[in-house]
Amino acid sequence: MGMSPVQSVSAAAEAPPAETFQPLIIALCCNWCSYAGADLAGVSRIQYPPSIRMVRVMCSGMVHPNLVIEALTKGADGVLICGCHPGDCHYQEGNLKAEKRAEAIRLMLSDFGIEEERFRLEWVSAAEGPRFAQVVRDFTEQVQKLGPNPYRTQ
Amino acid sequence: MAARLAEEWFAICGGCEVTILDIGEPLLDVLKQVEIVHMPVIMDHKLFGQTGENAEMEIPAADVGLISGGIRSEEHKKLALEMRKKCTILISLGSCACFGGIPALANQYSTQEMIEKVYRGSKSTESNGLPHEQIPELLDRVYAVHEVVPVDAYLPGCPTTPDMVANALVAILEGKPLPALSSKSVCDECPTKREKKAVGTLKRRYDSPDFKPGAPLSEMRCLMEQGILCLGPATRGGCGGDSVPRCIRAYMPCEGCFGPLSEKANPMVDMMGALSSIGLDPKQIPDRAATFNRFAGAGRLRPALRR
Repeated sequence: MGMSPVQSVSAAAEAPPAETFQPLIIALCCNWCSYAGADLAGVSRIQYPPSIRMVRVMCSGMVHPNLVIEALTKGADGVLICGCHPGDCHYQEGNLKAEKRAEAIRLMLSDFGIEEERFRLEWVSAAEGPRFAQVVRDFTEQVQKLGPNPYRTQ
Repeated sequence: MAARLAEEWFAICGGCEVTILDIGEPLLDVLKQVEIVHMPVIMDHKLFGQTGENAEMEIPAADVGLISGGIRSEEHKKLALEMRKKCTILISLGSCACFGGIPALANQYSTQEMIEKVYRGSKSTESNGLPHEQIPELLDRVYAVHEVVPVDAYLPGCPTTPDMVANALVAILEGKPLPALSSKSVCDECPTKREKKAVGTLKRRYDSPDFKPGAPLSEMRCLMEQGILCLGPATRGGCGGDSVPRCIRAYMPCEGCFGPLSEKANPMVDMMGALSSIGLDPKQIPDRAATFNRFAGAGRLRPALRR
């Protein structure tokens, strides 16, 4: 369930400015659904934290695990992959491939000493602008709780 | 004038020295132009002089130096520095010298943990204390040769291939540049059929793939897609010369002995990606760090992170 733009603006305004740590999150969004969803969040003027740096990819299924691991071992505080809902993939089953890879990524994060919670795979359709904003809000909060990436201070 | 050749071995089984012998008849022509000045495996040349009169280890000057084996102890380190000082061209021979090889699997543990396990911890060991007299101190981990001294050329492989050794030696004798390593992966050179989708699940190590006797490899399915773990996607090709990679030629999976695709590559990440991309379950790999860095442990494997 998404909030209406007005509700979310007031929610953001009421949020306490307690956290000073502003995480840096790499968001990899698929061209066909999630990037359009993010676009919709933008044109609908839904507010969400300015923590993400978005990369448009043709499909969530083209994001190889080494990109995620590299981002996290080079200091990104979180990585978010957004793709079409299962069954909606423009390339039939690219997002299912992303889901399989997400499992491998989670396994490897522990090998690199990175918290599993710094990585998230979410499905966002082109119509889900409010949901995209909500995902970014949730994920930013989650990463804020974890603190800065251990690799960043090294 | 014959080229002077020095060879030294460190943490290694000796297989790469056998590979030199394995060159076969062409070796006879090469040997006519080479004078071996130091090679512990075949000649009795003492490092401290023939009667032990010297205080420092010494290797005679040479045009070409071959080092096989990773660097595990202070002695190896000193000898590697000495080899670099005395040899004009220094070559890493075999996967142990190039990337640490099998001995570097011990890099998953600290030296202390390893010594405890080997001399005291294992059930079958009757502990008589730790060896400490007249043996060189172990380093903190296994190093590849190029991590200690600059190296001019690499001849990877476990063991390396006779053709590669012969080509390198001939190139040096003729004053030509040393042949470069392939920049392709084993998969790039593999002729088997790939459909980018696995049939079934991961098999146990020595389960058989579907095999059609007499049929060419191009009619058979990719081993990994049949659930047989093959390190081809993350391994440098070139082991078969210009033709099919050596293990694939026998329709056996790649073990990864030619090492990672580049100095900075992480074979574990590449392999986990490759496995999951074709729909195999990456959780089924029991020890992913060691399995995928089997020959490339120097600088890649380290004691487990404790959080």
